[in-house]
Amino acid sequence: MKILVANRGEIACRLIAGIRELGHEAVAVFTDVDADAPHVRLADHAIGLGEPRAYLDIAKLIDAMKATGAKAVHPGYGFVSQSAEFVEACDAAKVTFIGPSAKAMRALGDKRGSRQLAESAQVPVVPGDKSIEDPAAAQRIADRIGYPVLLKASGGGGGKGMRRVDDAKQIAEAFAAAQREAKAAFGDDRMQIEKYVHPARHVEVQVLGDGKRAIALGDRECSLQRRYQKIIEEGPSAAISDETRQALHAAAVRLAEAAQYASAGTVEFIVGPDGGFYFLEVNTRLQVEHPVTELITGFDIVRAQIEIALGGSLPQQAPPSRGHAIEARLNAEDPYHGFLPQTGKLLVVEWPRLPGVRVDAGVAQGSEVTPAYDSLLAKVIAHGSTREEARTRLLAALRATTVLGVVTNQIFLSQLLESDAFKTAQTFTTTVETATWPEPPVPAYVDELARAAAVTVRRSSASGGDVYSPWQRLGGFRMSTGT
Amino acid sequence: MSFRIIEHEGRRVRVAVVRTPKGVWVGYPGGAKFFADTSAKAGNAASTGDAVVAPMTARVVQVRTKPGAKVAEGDLLLVLEAMKMEYRLTAPREGVVAEVGCSEGELVDLGTTLVRLESS
Repeated sequence: MKILVANRGEIACRLIAGIRELGHEAVAVFTDVDADAPHVRLADHAIGLGEPRAYLDIAKLIDAMKATGAKAVHPGYGFVSQSAEFVEACDAAKVTFIGPSAKAMRALGDKRGSRQLAESAQVPVVPGDKSIEDPAAAQRIADRIGYPVLLKASGGGGGKGMRRVDDAKQIAEAFAAAQREAKAAFGDDRMQIEKYVHPARHVEVQVLGDGKRAIALGDRECSLQRRYQKIIEEGPSAAISDETRQALHAAAVRLAEAAQYASAGTVEFIVGPDGGFYFLEVNTRLQVEHPVTELITGFDIVRAQIEIALGGSLPQQAPPSRGHAIEARLNAEDPYHGFLPQTGKLLVVEWPRLPGVRVDAGVAQGSEVTPAYDSLLAKVIAHGSTREEARTRLLAALRATTVLGVVTNQIFLSQLLESDAFKTAQTFTTTVETATWPEPPVPAYVDELARAAAVTVRRSSASGGDVYSPWQRLGGFRMSTGT
Repeated sequence: MSFRIIEHEGRRVRVAVVRTPKGVWVGYPGGAKFFADTSAKAGNAASTGDAVVAPMTARVVQVRTKPGAKVAEGDLLLVLEAMKMEYRLTAPREGVVAEVGCSEGELVDLGTTLVRLESS
């Protein structure tokens, strides 16, 4: 069977590998700026969609399936993955959508609807209001539930269209900015408001359902975030008791079953300082951090999604968990200058090959990082028998990673993993933004190498010849043989 | 071929060095750093006292000031959008806006001067 992957980057690469592993053929789609991207090179078939925003274009995606004869489609995350309209278009075109039904997606994907469903399934929710029309309404509700409050886009995720507001003076401008962002990112400017639980941990449960029954595959803690986007995720959460864990898993399963959910999904909670947990939202799709659970359980979530969509059955019970896994998101952004996204051509890319380490990458040497898409380059994930083993393995993996050409958050990831807050599992959703993270100095030899190379550039351009060999001129160290 | 082994304080270290027309990239265990060529114009990509420049390639969402406006340090001048996130550019110091070099909806390149300030 041909299965189309309606996505790009690292997740498209990971999906293509999963599809081929099951003996199916993978069909990639690509936009003009992605014509030479790694996911296009990996796939069995590829078809162009045109302009950069075309990954969101439902009509073009359906046409691509018709043109290539694809009988199923996996949306990955982002883009059309949470579009019930896309699911309905697939149903109409007699193509299997690998994910939940349009009905379950509508019930859970919309933050207002999912809150109502959670309440009816006895899942605790954060105080707030699911529907606010304007800044004045936001202010009225905020006055009632107390500041700080969070303004959120009803139809979105990933931190877009979201603002924390600390007092009444900021609320009008924050509302307008969040609404604009929501409109641009999701084409949906409906907003909601809720109480901001503080300090909070973000703990989520990976569920898998077949439409009747659901199981919990495990939990992940994703407290380390900036601008509401996760940077480091781990599983299982090191901060909750076994009792809380069981209650969380049971609540997530109740919600999935109430929605007759058929596929992989994630139920997100915030856990307050008193161990109380509140339902946040459901991501009705595969998540960026799914490899954390895959490493702990040895269970392939993408494979299960494909099998369930094609009529296969759900395992009777969840596979047992083993050890601990931690994921770091390598982003093209400058963590020491406001996390500004960075663009450019990747000149050198080398991934670690170490025990217990998995790399899900969407770029390669020569890839162009453009402002058209999000800044995730790759995920580096480490598994160990203990949290500390996973942590040191991930640090070793980051030390063995090389990306030149675009500024990344590589050093910052190590800095987070080496912090006392992370070592002692005292991480909250505010940790990244409230603590100070001074840019670590580069080793002295790095400056020296750069100076030597720069000298050679000038000499080279003056003489017109290529005399690039700074190595002999360096005073502080000498060359060894080998590479 | 970009990779070399050097010896530093008695230990072997694997590094990568790539030069570009604009400078030199050096990769070392755990990180990488770009060194702009000293002959290139310094300050091209950072907001100095008089100029507010684009910190990245972005779309201008809002222009919140105009020539002749008096601004205080930290006042909102522009809202940019890149990679689906909004960024606020504020005045680096007190002054008067001498020139606004962009308009709403425009795509601007990294380093473009967006607002120029003069002393009040």
